[in-house]
Amino acid sequence: MSSVQDRTAAFLGGSVRRRHSITTPEGVQLTVELADATERAAAFLIDLILIVLANIALIVLVVVAFGLHHQARLVIALTLFAGFLVRHLYFVRFELAWQGVTPGKRVFGLRVIDRSGGPLLPGAIVTRNLTREVECFLPLLALFAAGGGAVENVFLALWLLGLAFIPLFNKNRRRVGDMLAGTLVMVVQKRVLLPDLAEESSEFSFTDRQLREYGAFELQVLEEILRRPKTAETEKLLTDICGRVSKRIDWPDPIPQSQEGAFLSQFYAAQRAHLEREQLFGRVREEKREKQIGVAGE
Amino acid sequence: MTLTLKSATFRAQREADWLALEKLVQRARLGGIRKLSAEELQRLPLLYRATLSSLSVARAIALDRYLLLYLEDLALRAYLVVYGPQRSWFATCRHFLSRGFPAGARAAWPHILISFLCIVAGTVTGYALTDRDEAWFSTFIPAAMAGGRGPGSTRTDLLGQEIFAPWSGVAESFGLAASFLFQHNTIVGILSFGLGIFAGLPTIGLLLYQGLVFGSFLCLHAHRGLLIDCIGWVSIHGVTEFGAIILSGAGGLFIAEKLVFPGRLTRSDSLALHGETASRLAVGAMLLFMLAAILEGGFRQLVANTPLRLLIGFSVGACWITYLAWPRKGAGA
Repeated sequence: MSSVQDRTAAFLGGSVRRRHSITTPEGVQLTVELADATERAAAFLIDLILIVLANIALIVLVVVAFGLHHQARLVIALTLFAGFLVRHLYFVRFELAWQGVTPGKRVFGLRVIDRSGGPLLPGAIVTRNLTREVECFLPLLALFAAGGGAVENVFLALWLLGLAFIPLFNKNRRRVGDMLAGTLVMVVQKRVLLPDLAEESSEFSFTDRQLREYGAFELQVLEEILRRPKTAETEKLLTDICGRVSKRIDWPDPIPQSQEGAFLSQFYAAQRAHLEREQLFGRVREEKREKQIGVAGE
Repeated sequence: MTLTLKSATFRAQREADWLALEKLVQRARLGGIRKLSAEELQRLPLLYRATLSSLSVARAIALDRYLLLYLEDLALRAYLVVYGPQRSWFATCRHFLSRGFPAGARAAWPHILISFLCIVAGTVTGYALTDRDEAWFSTFIPAAMAGGRGPGSTRTDLLGQEIFAPWSGVAESFGLAASFLFQHNTIVGILSFGLGIFAGLPTIGLLLYQGLVFGSFLCLHAHRGLLIDCIGWVSIHGVTEFGAIILSGAGGLFIAEKLVFPGRLTRSDSLALHGETASRLAVGAMLLFMLAAILEGGFRQLVANTPLRLLIGFSVGACWITYLAWPRKGAGA
């Protein structure tokens, strides 16, 4: 994503996520948006709840099958074993079959990917989930198990807290398992292809000199505003922009209120056509403050 | 005046491909490319590359904000489908057993050796200390784990209640082994692997401690003339179990080495590059722990004969070594 697009998003108050750039095997750079620590924690919580539910179901199943009165030891052993298998197979199975997504991650649109843009290998999935055992499950189980001394519990709690906050202290929001496996957790956006705003017909026509006033940044802000739903607030904003634009480009006649929308969208189309043509000749103009360099004949 | 926008013409020409790709990507979102038909599978990479090229062109010529965002997004989603994990759960397991686990063990043989030596050093020390004073036994092994054994145990106690104790039936003995396994051994294994991130020092400590416990245990029996019987009793599952501890320890040491001495790479690159080998060792170790539990629960008390126990234990060990060290075509894949 270019800096102009970032600046537009920031200018209009959209949140800008942390980014990481990957290069596909075809050599094209793609930008992924990284998941927040809160999103990841919430996704993990959902997965954890599902695992606990599965475990409860398993315990009920084992108790119904074997009965409680005899062989209590076997029942305990079986549930311990089943719990262990469930929590390991859950993450590995879903991340393998669902392409790096678990049910919890799906709720928040998160996805595990390879850090450098290569394929997400099964080995990496197993690695990042095995480390989860040391990072979280074992200390958690030990903490809840009866008989632990106070000192040990404090140590375990500190351990859990320490590891839980590791993602906050590195650039790519990675936990220890991600570091070992070389993975990242990204947010998958789903944008739809919107119709082009540029219209072919034109009542207003603009001269080259008038179109030289603005750059790509202003163009994209204008596009964003034009695409907003037509509320009273947007109308007010459009009137304001219309006034500023006509003043800057020295538009001779005042524009009637009913014509403002048409004027701006046609100005947008003409401005885009102009900037795209200039860009094709290697004259990129990012914003209005930037001087145009090397314009022929000047 | 009519305007012809380069980006609008460009979009009109290619839009159909993008929408076709979007549809494919949407269908393959969960479950991967297995959800697509053969014909769609043929089109997917073509459409994906066409869209990547569209993206590159759009970055150069278009100023339509939403078009660029859409293409960035679509290219990324298609990339995730095309380069997502394509192996099934079953194929992953098979590949791990036939290639991954042995390859991991061979890649880390020096670490396995160090791990083994740590256990040996611990055992020798434990034996030597307990030889002088049996009180060390209670120091090394907490009462909860000692199962009533200790300096007070007599030869008859050990023989009757432990080494040649009658077999208590499938349910009871498997239950015992499994619960012990998941309370203690696997945890030790996972910890010695995971604590490798602290430069491997806790891993070495854990390995030494395991050796101390074993050495002390051996010595207690040796003082009562049961050394060979004890080794037989332990070997039937212990060879596999120690193999598991050694492998998970080696995994931890492997991580530690790559972290402390990353060479030309950055530490995080080095970890990412070698994490897979380490995890292969750890997963293999888990497998061994489970097999050891089955051997312990099932066969140990069933085979009430020391030479036979020794034979089973060490031939299982020989099988492991052969399996891991056997040269394979295209190894390391």
